[in-house]
Amino acid sequence: MVRAVPVWLRLAGVVFVVLTALVLLAPLIVVVGVSISESQFIAFPPNGLSLRWYEAVLSSDAYLGAGWISLQIAALVTVLATLVGGAAAIAIHRRQLPFSELLATAFLSPLVLPTIIYAIGMLMFWSAAFGTVTPMVLALSHTVIALPYVVRTTLAVLSEADPFLEEAARTMGANRLQRLWLVVVPQCLPGLAAGAFFAFNISFDEAVLSLFLRGPTLTTLPVQIYGQLEFSPDPSVAAVSTIMIALTIALIAIIERMLGLNRFASA
Amino acid sequence: MINDRTENLLLAVPGILLLALAFFLPIAQMLALSVSGPDGPTLAPFERFLSDPYYLGILWRTVRLSLLITVICAAIGFPLAYIMTKVGPRVRLWLVVMVILPLMTSVVVRTFGWMVLLSRSGLIPELLRDMGLVGRSFALMQTEAAIVIGMVQVLLPFMALSVLGVLTRIDARLEEAARTMGCSFLQTIRTVVLPLALPGIVAGSLLCFTLSASSFVTPSLLGGARIQVLAASIYRSVTATPDWPFAAAQAVILFAGILLLLIPYIRLTGARHG
Repeated sequence: MVRAVPVWLRLAGVVFVVLTALVLLAPLIVVVGVSISESQFIAFPPNGLSLRWYEAVLSSDAYLGAGWISLQIAALVTVLATLVGGAAAIAIHRRQLPFSELLATAFLSPLVLPTIIYAIGMLMFWSAAFGTVTPMVLALSHTVIALPYVVRTTLAVLSEADPFLEEAARTMGANRLQRLWLVVVPQCLPGLAAGAFFAFNISFDEAVLSLFLRGPTLTTLPVQIYGQLEFSPDPSVAAVSTIMIALTIALIAIIERMLGLNRFASA
Repeated sequence: MINDRTENLLLAVPGILLLALAFFLPIAQMLALSVSGPDGPTLAPFERFLSDPYYLGILWRTVRLSLLITVICAAIGFPLAYIMTKVGPRVRLWLVVMVILPLMTSVVVRTFGWMVLLSRSGLIPELLRDMGLVGRSFALMQTEAAIVIGMVQVLLPFMALSVLGVLTRIDARLEEAARTMGCSFLQTIRTVVLPLALPGIVAGSLLCFTLSASSFVTPSLLGGARIQVLAASIYRSVTATPDWPFAAAQAVILFAGILLLLIPYIRLTGARHG
């Protein structure tokens, strides 16, 4: 006879999940709460409702400028990481290169190395070579840390794809470019799309590389927020942060609708 | 005409070039800089770090806090991941969202939330004071406790997902078998689920420890200038007192320390399962 799971344990499980959810989501809820506060100072729970801090953000050159830079860099990173990472994943998946195991490890290695160590290396290398850090250098560094995500999602999709489809296309007379573009790339598409969304999210939210590689004219949104937090934040920081949270929720909703979160959550 | 190998090489070359120029070369350069002085190779930055009690204190605090954060993440992450495998698909999706939403939100934003919650007039110290658990002068901001609370929330998703990945691949019949043979629920967890989940817990712990030891945004905002960790000290050596060789030396110490702690850990668990 199987003894049932005791009721107190089931109850404990429910309480545990609720408490964990509270801890995980508390900082986000608080930020949203502060952003709609009427008060001059940061306060939670908010006293009085108002959208004045959103107006303050939308009329602030510092926030708008940083937001524009972040968007441009994230867009560039998304395109670069998806193209470069997707192509590399196809090559790795075929296992025809003599060093494809080593190659796979190399492409995943930015995941393992702590970002701060990489950030110092980038700063020292590019400042020594060119005297200054350009937006392109920051975008390249974001691309490097986004690359493993694109490679991983694309490899995950390819490992479930039908390998004989490309063979069939070959026998039917398709040339190399046609096979790649009409057979392999469509097979990769869900992985490429998921990788692209992750790449955008990584670049848009990234703070460590952006802090090390920042310059007078190169301040991304997270760096701008960090600077505010170090000194005297007013609720406008909460309004910007809420906008960033909303963007993240939108990205998660798109990934779930298009591809299903579960597929990548436990990959 | 190009052959298969050329085609694959062409596909991989942009990525290889990018990694070489914007990843491996800069890191090699940093390693070289950490041992270069004005008159040839030197270990002076390392000597300076390892002979100063102030910096040794920072190193010890970094290791201590990272271990504590990793243990707490494992203690919460394992049951959370286990429950995620047992609930229905709808609840499971919401739990995945609950884990992924903070994970995909900028660390700066999450730390800001904790600054509000933990500040002198914030919700958590107020609550503790009202319940009479702490004195009137109690503060959480700029303490090690604040760093631990903030970092656990930042790193818990990594642990939960890493354990979840292993748990979903465990054959459910093993658990059923243990239960029909008379094991209680908790016995089954201890003797069947936990040992099988160990690789996921180990992988998650490695990740949590590495990320914890190398992060500076959350520790410097929640711990303040007096409670420094190694990564914050590196950042300061780069920005406040530009001393790049010293910053590079500290980064090398951080990296070596992580490797030193992780290699025996991997060996240990590898031997038990291999």
